[in-house]
Amino acid sequence: MTTQIPALDDAARTQIKDIVCDILELELDEVSDTSLFKEEHDADSLRTIEILASLERTFGITLKQSELSRMVNLAGVHAVVAEAKAQ
Amino acid sequence: MAAETGAPPAELVISGWAVSSPYGLGRTAFAGGLASGRRAIAPLDGADWPVPYEEAGLIPGFDIKAVLGRKGTRSMDRVTGIAAATVGMLLEQYGAGLAADAESTGLVLGTSGSVQSIMDFTRDALTGDKPYLVDPARFPNTVMNCPTGQSAIRHTLKGPNVTVSGGAATALLSLQYASRLLRGGHGRALLAGAAEEFSVQRARLERVADHGGAAPQPLGEGAALFLLEGATDARESGRPVLATVLGSRFRAFQDTARAGTALEACVADVLAAAGAAPDDVELIAPGTPPGLLGKQEESALDGLTGNRLPVRSLVGDAGAASAAFQLAAVLAEAEADPRLVDRLTLVTAVDRDGTAGALLLRPA
Amino acid sequence: MTGARHRVVVTGLGVVTSIGTGVDAFAAGLRAGRSGAKPITAFDTTGFAYSNACEITDFDPEAWITGQSPDDLGRAAQFAVAASRMAVADAGLTEEQVRAVRSLVSVGTTDGESRDLDHLTGLQVSGGDDVLDAVVARRVWPGRLSAGIVRELALEDVETVTVPTACAAGNYAVGYGYDAISSGDVEMALCGGADALCRKTFTGFYRLGTIAPDVCRPFDADRQGILTGEGAGILLMESLESALARGARIYAEVLGYGLSCDASHPVAPDRDSIARCITAAHRNAGIEAADVDFISAHGTGTRANDVTEVGAIRQVFGEELPRTVSIKSMIGHTMGAASALASAACALALRDGFIPPTVNHRTTDPECAVDCVPNEAVEAELKVVQNNGLAFGGNNAVLVLGRWDTAA
Repeated sequence: MTTQIPALDDAARTQIKDIVCDILELELDEVSDTSLFKEEHDADSLRTIEILASLERTFGITLKQSELSRMVNLAGVHAVVAEAKAQ
Repeated sequence: MAAETGAPPAELVISGWAVSSPYGLGRTAFAGGLASGRRAIAPLDGADWPVPYEEAGLIPGFDIKAVLGRKGTRSMDRVTGIAAATVGMLLEQYGAGLAADAESTGLVLGTSGSVQSIMDFTRDALTGDKPYLVDPARFPNTVMNCPTGQSAIRHTLKGPNVTVSGGAATALLSLQYASRLLRGGHGRALLAGAAEEFSVQRARLERVADHGGAAPQPLGEGAALFLLEGATDARESGRPVLATVLGSRFRAFQDTARAGTALEACVADVLAAAGAAPDDVELIAPGTPPGLLGKQEESALDGLTGNRLPVRSLVGDAGAASAAFQLAAVLAEAEADPRLVDRLTLVTAVDRDGTAGALLLRPA
Repeated sequence: MTGARHRVVVTGLGVVTSIGTGVDAFAAGLRAGRSGAKPITAFDTTGFAYSNACEITDFDPEAWITGQSPDDLGRAAQFAVAASRMAVADAGLTEEQVRAVRSLVSVGTTDGESRDLDHLTGLQVSGGDDVLDAVVARRVWPGRLSAGIVRELALEDVETVTVPTACAAGNYAVGYGYDAISSGDVEMALCGGADALCRKTFTGFYRLGTIAPDVCRPFDADRQGILTGEGAGILLMESLESALARGARIYAEVLGYGLSCDASHPVAPDRDSIARCITAAHRNAGIEAADVDFISAHGTGTRANDVTEVGAIRQVFGEELPRTVSIKSMIGHTMGAASALASAACALALRDGFIPPTVNHRTTDPECAVDCVPNEAVEAELKVVQNNGLAFGGNNAVLVLGRWDTAA
């Protein structure tokens, strides 16, 4: 474990945004780093698990279900993915 | 719900129908295709469909997103798309009236789901880096009631939502289930019918099925749905009575050689229950399965002089939707031919797993 | 369809479960609060962090299937056939007697023979897309679940239908039998549900985060989800006249049932719609909520189900809830068999005067606060019981059974 977690590069951020927009059926410009999946984009629990599952497959990482509580927007997803990649 | 609004309906009628078939989407394409006698079975592109069949009856150019839009269709499988599109077409005709009574309007759909969806899901589980790296959005597709439930979600049908399955007799069983629900006071108007998809895995499985000693026939796909309700409800709602459902009967046979006897008894029973004679049957849409089963069906219908309406030879073996297409064909013919009014029409099915069934209708 | 409707009674039960096969073993298991949980052997679970299920490890198809080759049936159909033969015998009937009357066979299922489809997929993955086991391929269609029973019992004057209405399918099938008998269409019915453990369904629930790591704890503050299960439950039902005429032992009367569809979400249950289903069942059965002595809940033990289901019950019953139990704590979630096996449990409870427990229970979750009869069965005078079945696709079915009292 390191205390310094490297930030995600632009390519990873783009991949994440593509995944989220595809699953939530949104255009890229409809989502910001801080817009909330559930409250602003109608995401239900199945959709958020879809996002988690897709991230695991895409990045070859393992995410605990409990991380869903942090994955409320793109910024939250970036943090969770960055930590998982650093493991 | 209907249960509290008085006695169950004495007379059940079909007051609307919709179809998606190898002739295209909608009744016009289906009726026109059947009337012309044009075979809707076409060569398959082996690159798209790596299957042990040369040709099939596909819904031409069927594209879920083009028909249903992008929203809610990202993970939808083919049979669900076909069912939802066909339910939508039927509701379009009478949407306002039925939508006002969503809790009393339900759907009884005959389908065995999608073997393709089930097998794809397991394939992902077996080939991924971890055995659980599957797409959770596709999990509901692997449960056989998915087309029924999704159709209800898209079209807000809150009444009974039932999935039934019984091979080639599926659609007749589905109408029977819906009839009992209406008579039991569980709903007021039910869409009943069946849906089937063409898929690579279905084709592989069907190729080795029992075809009664004959070669496998081309497969078809599609759906037909019928609006079933009490005659009084239909009239009061301003919906046309297209046909009165006089009843259906089913029997089982242990071996194929007894299928004809079983079907003959079904036909005799539905006629007797309706107080009708064999000569009253003006039109028959048989299932015409291949091989021995087909010969058994023919022999059971020997005593009936009514015209035969060919369906399977034109659209293929539509699996669960087979008898739904036969019933749709009868209604199309009745619309076109005024001589059928108040005469009797018969739909029959004999399934390789041992069910024979007959449905008797009187077109209005 | 003319004349008064017939009363419908349950006179035979056939069960195949992870806590016992046959009605006596099942009844003893329910009373003792036995658990069927154990590590899965049905498929290779390498790579899963945990993999318990309520698997049946002592089922011998040859002991039950004699009218056809067991190889012509998948595992779910084998369970269904075995349970049907048990139900006929338990009703004190010979197969000839069943053959002699007009009947219905309706079997509910979630997965049909998905276990066989898993196997066929595995062959394709390891051996190439064209590899196929033809014997298995011929038996995968869900119609076989009901057709297998008909073939085994050599029934002819019978309507045969499979009802793949997912995890409430057992109640749909039993409700259908009730309507078919009460209308006079048929005299007897063999109805219920069957499913076999399979990789596909375990994987799906695991991916959704709804498989419990150890055991299923419905209504518990620490509940973590379901355990998948397998088995079959078949009820032999007949008209009251038929049962009385032959002096049959009557487990229970089927008072009625209700159906509803959420029409909102493919997997998340909807409180209002479940409440509507319960109300419809009460109305159809001619009872009031206050008449219900206990509820056999769908009670999967997931976070979402138990809160939503208890919320729906509260909506109908108010603050005074009847005891509400989940036998899934013992036999796991047996999918299409679940509400059929729960119906069988309700029928046994009515006959023997006890309420089955909810096992593995430690602390009741205040968000779904019910008296779940924790861990130990209780003796109780019962008259009316309610059995909930909820399913993917928003398919709800609630069945109401009543004690048959010769004095009534």
